[in-house]
Amino acid sequence: MVKLPNIQRGKIYIMLAILTWFALLFVDLVRLFGEINQMEGDISREITWILEIIFFIILYLYFNDSINKNENSSFLNLIWRAASTGLIATTTSFLIIYFYYLLAGSRLSDDPLLRNFFYHVNFALTSLFLISAALLWKHLILYQKSKAVVQQWQAYEVILLISMFFVLINQESYDYGFMFGLIFLVIYGVILSVNLKWIPYLTFREKWKSILFLAIIIVCTAYLLVQLVSYNQKNIDFVNLSENLFLLGLFAFVLIYAVFSFLVTLFNLPTSSVFEQKLTEAISFQKLSQSIQPGENEEQVLDILMDSSMSAAYVDAAWLELHAQEEEDLPGKILHQKFISNGERQELMATLKKTEPFASYLNEQKNGKLEYIYGKIPHETFQSVLIIPIRANKKILGDLFLLKEVKDGFNKEMINIISTFVGQTSISIENYRLLNEAIRNERYREELEIAQRVQRSLLPSELHHNECFEIDGFSAAADEVGGDYYETYSFDRDHFALIIGDVSGKGTSAAFNMSQMKGVFHSLVQLNLSPKDFLTKANSALSRCLEKNNFITTTYYTVNTIEKEIHFARAGHCPTLYYSREKGAARFLNIKGMGLGIVRNESFEQYIEEGKLHFQSGDVMVLYTDGIVEAKNEIGQEFGYDNLRNLLDLNYHLPAREIRTKIIESVFAFVGKEILPDDDYSLLAIKFKA
Amino acid sequence: MLSINMTGARDHLVIALNGEVDASNSVELDEVIQEALSGSTQKILVDGRNLEYISSAGLGVFMSYLEDFREKEVAFVIFGLNDKVMNVFHILGLDQLIRIKNTQEEAEESLYDA
Repeated sequence: MVKLPNIQRGKIYIMLAILTWFALLFVDLVRLFGEINQMEGDISREITWILEIIFFIILYLYFNDSINKNENSSFLNLIWRAASTGLIATTTSFLIIYFYYLLAGSRLSDDPLLRNFFYHVNFALTSLFLISAALLWKHLILYQKSKAVVQQWQAYEVILLISMFFVLINQESYDYGFMFGLIFLVIYGVILSVNLKWIPYLTFREKWKSILFLAIIIVCTAYLLVQLVSYNQKNIDFVNLSENLFLLGLFAFVLIYAVFSFLVTLFNLPTSSVFEQKLTEAISFQKLSQSIQPGENEEQVLDILMDSSMSAAYVDAAWLELHAQEEEDLPGKILHQKFISNGERQELMATLKKTEPFASYLNEQKNGKLEYIYGKIPHETFQSVLIIPIRANKKILGDLFLLKEVKDGFNKEMINIISTFVGQTSISIENYRLLNEAIRNERYREELEIAQRVQRSLLPSELHHNECFEIDGFSAAADEVGGDYYETYSFDRDHFALIIGDVSGKGTSAAFNMSQMKGVFHSLVQLNLSPKDFLTKANSALSRCLEKNNFITTTYYTVNTIEKEIHFARAGHCPTLYYSREKGAARFLNIKGMGLGIVRNESFEQYIEEGKLHFQSGDVMVLYTDGIVEAKNEIGQEFGYDNLRNLLDLNYHLPAREIRTKIIESVFAFVGKEILPDDDYSLLAIKFKA
Repeated sequence: MLSINMTGARDHLVIALNGEVDASNSVELDEVIQEALSGSTQKILVDGRNLEYISSAGLGVFMSYLEDFREKEVAFVIFGLNDKVMNVFHILGLDQLIRIKNTQEEAEESLYDA
């Protein structure tokens, strides 16, 4: 199907309409000329009627198109469009009458052909007006579309279409059939005309304007009807164009709808302020419910609240008092004082504090559940007072004071709507605060992630060793960052240092102390000290850095793979687990020790012992932190030292990595999946080979 | 879970610890010892018979007052620790700095004899 562009289509309709009208005029004039001159070959009336029907259909299509294009124009515009078309049609008709008045007495004034021409002009303009008005009404009727209304209208359109052709079937004018059709159309028009839902949306001013326009439409319609009918009564020899069911039906519909609208608008005038008020309230509500935009603050929301509440209850004066917020260190203050001076406010406040029911609220503890207090006061200007507390996060943020000069100035609806406003404000403020908090938390989280990355990098990615031993390590933190630490150092090919440590406490503070420990290790390890001297110096250094109640436990080892010797000293750390191939059993290396930072003076040295052992191929040394032995299962039992030792007794023959994996898996299996680790776990497994 | 009771007897104070001391409640322990120290007593006894667990944070509290005890010449004795808790004190080396006794009688004896 060929689809013509919209603009073109409009122009084509106009052209077609004009052409049809000319054809109609021509046919009628020729026929009339023939009749007057009693010529043979009468043109049948059907041709006129068919041309008339085509003319109607084209106009209908044209206006349907053009109104749909301007779908968004206001009601008032639509009504004005109809009214102006009506005015043009009426004015033209008056001009014709005036023209005849000027011609009065001349031969031309009696000329039936000229009269018939003007008749056609009048007819065309009237049809134009009626069809355009009917389609504008359609737009108004379908303003709030429901399926039923749409179907009603579609049925009406079909009936109108049928009514156009009625003239071809029934040529007797005003017989029963015709009257029946007409009455049917009128009744249908009445049914359609009850759809007047657009009227309440007009403002007070718009209502007045629309009443004026509707009056114009009613007058024009009535006049045009009378005028068109009178033409036919005066000129019986014309083909009666107006005696078409369609045209008369439209007359009825346009007139009925205009009258209905006129009356309803008129009677709506007194209540329109209420509707407008409700609409303002809805808009206020919407403003309040929009969460506070970035860049705005809570005061702006409170400002909207003030304005909305004041207009909702026709308040004469108001202010908003914010209470001091201790946590946020905000002093109490008066905000948005409207139509009242400071002096008056203080004076009123003094009166309120003496008057019940306000006194008990204002003087005493704030009642957490109170929604509002309302009452009258003995004051010369203001007679009624409404106080509404504004809450956010279960705390009273402040009080809204609304004053009116009349007694009992607040009715139930006003208090309800203001309470709703206040509730919405609370939600907005709470949301705003939550959002801010979320943003802050997000930033903390990001910083914690950075700390985590930094701390992960503190643990070595590679452990120093040579072909004489294997080494494998594991570490998991309970929190984002942990306080466990291990490290290796290679003095040369055959000499190594190992350290494992645990910082007291956990989380971020532990992580900071751990990084201090790492610094101490790397500084002291280069001095190639004996384990005891190393720990004494480390204690001395850390005593100056650690907080009073913080300490670090550690064990320091030096490994010599030529002599196959290990020297070690324990600073309060869990005793090393050692499997000796020779003895065929694992044991804990118990030597005296003292945590770093516990004794912060020279006497520390006396609490430290140094141990020494020879290793053989197949020996296994397990270094761990207390998280392993203190890991608890769901019934609160600890993993314990015995479990750990038994595990090594069973698995000593495996390579270091597998020993490590076995132990960690056992610990996790012991703890169970449901329980989150509450301490940091670290483990180093060392297996000697040669 | 931790509950702390402080009672006076003769010349000394008894601080009884019930439950577990960890990072979340070590502050309570700290406050109690602080309070005991601020009084006039020179003798403090800690009843650890019902102490089930102590974390490094709890040990840190005892450790942080060692200096104060020495300066103010306060006698500080812990008694009745179970094996597990005792082991924790032992591993860290605190048993070398704090007098730890098995029974209340022994503890009181050591308080008044010294």
